[in-house]
Amino acid sequence: MDLTYSPEDRAFREKARRWLEANVPTDDLKTLDERKAWHRKLYEAGYVGVLWPKEYGGWGASPMQQAIVQDEMARVNAPPAINGLGIGFIGPTIIVHGTDWQKGRYLKKMLTAEEIWCQLYSEPNAGSDLASLKTRAEDRGDHFLVNGQKIWTSSGPIADWGILLARTDSKAPKHKGISCFLLNMRQPGVEVRPLKQITGSSLFSEVFMTDARAERRDLIGTLNQGWEIAQTTLGFERGSNSLGRVTRYAIAFSQLVRAAKELRRGGRPLIEDPVVRAKLGKIYAELEVQRYAGLRVLSALNRGESPGAASSITKLSYTEFEKRYYEAALEILGPWGQLVTAPEEFEEIDTSSGEPGTWATAFLWSRAGTIYSGSSEIQKNIIGERVLGLPKEVRADRLKA
Amino acid sequence: MNFSFSSDQQLLKNSARAFLDEHMKPATVRLLWDDPRGESEALWKEMGELGWLGLSLPEAHGGSGLGMVETAILLEEMGHAALPGPYLPTVLAARAIEEAGTNAQRMRWLSAIATGEARATLALLDADLDWRPEGTRTRAEKSATGWTLSGTKRFVPWAHVADVLLVPARTPDGLTLFLVDPAAAGLTLEPAQVMDGATRLVTVTLDATPVGGDGVLGAAGQAGPLLASLLRRGAVGAAAEMLGAARRCLDMAVGYAKVREQFGQPIGSFQAIRHKCAEMLLEVENSHAAVYYSAWALDARAEDAELAASVAKAYVGDAARRVCGEAIQVHGGIGFTWEYDLHLYFKRAKALEAMYGDADHHRELIVRRVAA
Ligand SMILES: Cc1cc2nc3c(=O)[nH]c(=O)nc-3n(C[C@H](O)[C@H](O)[C@H](O)COP(=O)(O)OP(=O)(O)OC[C@H]3O[C@@H](n4cnc5c(N)ncnc54)[C@H](O)[C@@H]3O)c2cc1C
Ligand SMILES: Cc1cc2nc3c(=O)[nH]c(=O)nc-3n(C[C@H](O)[C@H](O)[C@H](O)COP(=O)(O)OP(=O)(O)OC[C@H]3O[C@@H](n4cnc5c(N)ncnc54)[C@H](O)[C@@H]3O)c2cc1C
Repeated sequence: MDLTYSPEDRAFREKARRWLEANVPTDDLKTLDERKAWHRKLYEAGYVGVLWPKEYGGWGASPMQQAIVQDEMARVNAPPAINGLGIGFIGPTIIVHGTDWQKGRYLKKMLTAEEIWCQLYSEPNAGSDLASLKTRAEDRGDHFLVNGQKIWTSSGPIADWGILLARTDSKAPKHKGISCFLLNMRQPGVEVRPLKQITGSSLFSEVFMTDARAERRDLIGTLNQGWEIAQTTLGFERGSNSLGRVTRYAIAFSQLVRAAKELRRGGRPLIEDPVVRAKLGKIYAELEVQRYAGLRVLSALNRGESPGAASSITKLSYTEFEKRYYEAALEILGPWGQLVTAPEEFEEIDTSSGEPGTWATAFLWSRAGTIYSGSSEIQKNIIGERVLGLPKEVRADRLKA
Repeated sequence: MNFSFSSDQQLLKNSARAFLDEHMKPATVRLLWDDPRGESEALWKEMGELGWLGLSLPEAHGGSGLGMVETAILLEEMGHAALPGPYLPTVLAARAIEEAGTNAQRMRWLSAIATGEARATLALLDADLDWRPEGTRTRAEKSATGWTLSGTKRFVPWAHVADVLLVPARTPDGLTLFLVDPAAAGLTLEPAQVMDGATRLVTVTLDATPVGGDGVLGAAGQAGPLLASLLRRGAVGAAAEMLGAARRCLDMAVGYAKVREQFGQPIGSFQAIRHKCAEMLLEVENSHAAVYYSAWALDARAEDAELAASVAKAYVGDAARRVCGEAIQVHGGIGFTWEYDLHLYFKRAKALEAMYGDADHHRELIVRRVAA
């Protein structure tokens, strides 16, 4: 056991810190074009696509260095890169399963955010049970005709391309009849309707596909291999931003402490109230434990070990923690915590999503993590069955299959 | 950066598991629960031969010169076995003697501890149960031959088998740590019975108890930092032991959930049970990260070592209680019986939760550190 950073990693961190301090934008980025420009700058400096192989335009660096970049960005509250779904897992999926043509056509533009990507998986009747999806793709020779509806599509309104799961064999068992495509979002058969989230912003959407075209050359892997491919996609998605996430929590914590020093109750600052102190101590202990656990996962990733189903423990741990964290923060702040425009004395905080806002936004946003990318209940099923080896539950769809 | 054990550390863990599986079966633990002394003298000797007692002592004193990570590895296995005995207080005391002792004190105690001839303990709590060293009430006054100590120390672990007690007391110079002979005049020991039979706690009353001039450990009046550092090591050590107990309970719960059938299927196939087991695993794995991070931080003198010790104690104390308790729940009625072994580990974890600063104490230390 040795938790010191290697000299190379320390030098890498030093360099990233200096670059970010010199280059981080001083004004809020308001438009998509401004965010794309910042993204490109980050990319050119070597801080986007850190993990991607060099042959596809990435930097071929280690998971540790990837985590260091995220951490340093959080430290200076840098606006995040965009196209996270693309770079975090759609691109890696193409790298693993895609053809040379697909790699040449899509990867570089994804990295530079010239083209924005979204994930077209969930449907109104296929959420946790993704394999029951109904969107159809009919084989028309050089292309497939796509009909159906997707929902909760993040970045849908700004996306140029999507990774799509659609049914290509309705007679096969449900996991065996699904294929994976890259779908052009900028075509007449694709209609995107923004959906407003509980935070008030519209980051996700519904996507309606009516005789939309997916080219045959945009089929990923072989026909009906989609479920298998989707499993790798989810695997990449559960990778690591462990350090950066915890640093963001820690920055929010110091803002919380500052607020607890300024706010008074019963004639004394909140920070002197033993009940408030106990709450602060409890959430800070949990926050640190998330950091230690993150380092443990990261050190394994960095040695090339794949966490497999154990990554469900990480996801469950930090998403459930995040809810408790902001619940405690709002308990401490009282009605102050519920303001949707922050009073000047409490700076705006950037939530772990990168969505700018107030404590209230962060509190609301913390409800999302235990739903997307496999809800907490699904993670617990995976942990129970695949990590602990507990017997599978009796399920109606398994009885049929 | 490597969070996994080295091959030597893994070897230590495996051999400790094998040794305790063989020599500290639940039936043996139960015998010791009923034993007035409460620990096995033969086993203690063997632990000395295995190098466990001198694990973190310098080689010059018969030790192996290893660190807190290795100590935590052993303590986790001891918690996993619910091993009764004064291991943690003895190695903590040895550490303090090694760190602050005079040559004579080190010669007197360290190799005796490493070989298993001597046991030691810490009398950290006064009657008002304040874990802060500055809360110490026991007093020491200068005498012709040295000092006399008066006061009451509560919940002193294993004082009835100890050959030396480390006793903090107030002097006109400030807080001072004394090496006290348990047979000294005016000192009485009154064992208390607690729900964990593997925990022995003793009330130590000092009534003008004489201590020689050579019985001061470290500089007179300067014991505060040494005591704080002992408490930190104690906190990490106790967290490691609680982790072991929690891991044992988790394993027992999962094993039982696979074989116990109700409603025509194993209870582990019910989500109510499976999800509970998943949550227990989550807390055990997080506890593992907390224990070994904090142990490493002490060894590496990392700048957050003090914070990490409090984090580990506060987090693991809560987690181990929940995990061991939920294991009883998973077992249903059988888990509530004396004959079934679960309660050995449940009680072991619960007993350690209150020692070396409870979670409230450590949460306050955390807030002082991060909200200053
Ligand atoms: C902010 C946000 C962004 C998202 N972005 C995307 C995106 O970009 N692309 C995309 O494809 N999807 C996206 N999603 C959708 C997300 O993947 C789904 O919401 C998720 O898979 C859950 O599906 P559902 O909403 O249909 O809930 P359901 O599956 O209907 O679940 C409802 C409840 O039942 C529980 N449940 C379901 N099955 C089981 C079971 N077997 N055992 C126990 N409990 C069960 C669930 O845990 C949940 O609590 C996003 C969701 C959110 C909240
Ligand atoms: C102090 C005490 C006194 C008692 N006194 C009496 C008495 O006087 N007379 C008497 O007849 N009995 C008595 N009982 C027995 C008690 O009713 C049973 O222990 C209880 O019904 C649970 O059964 P079990 O112990 O076999 O556990 P199990 O039924 O084997 O349950 C084990 C675990 O599986 C869970 N489980 C079981 N089925 C399901 C399911 N379908 N879904 C989800 N989870 C499930 C349970 O909740 C439990 O956590 C007593 C028990 C105790 C602890």
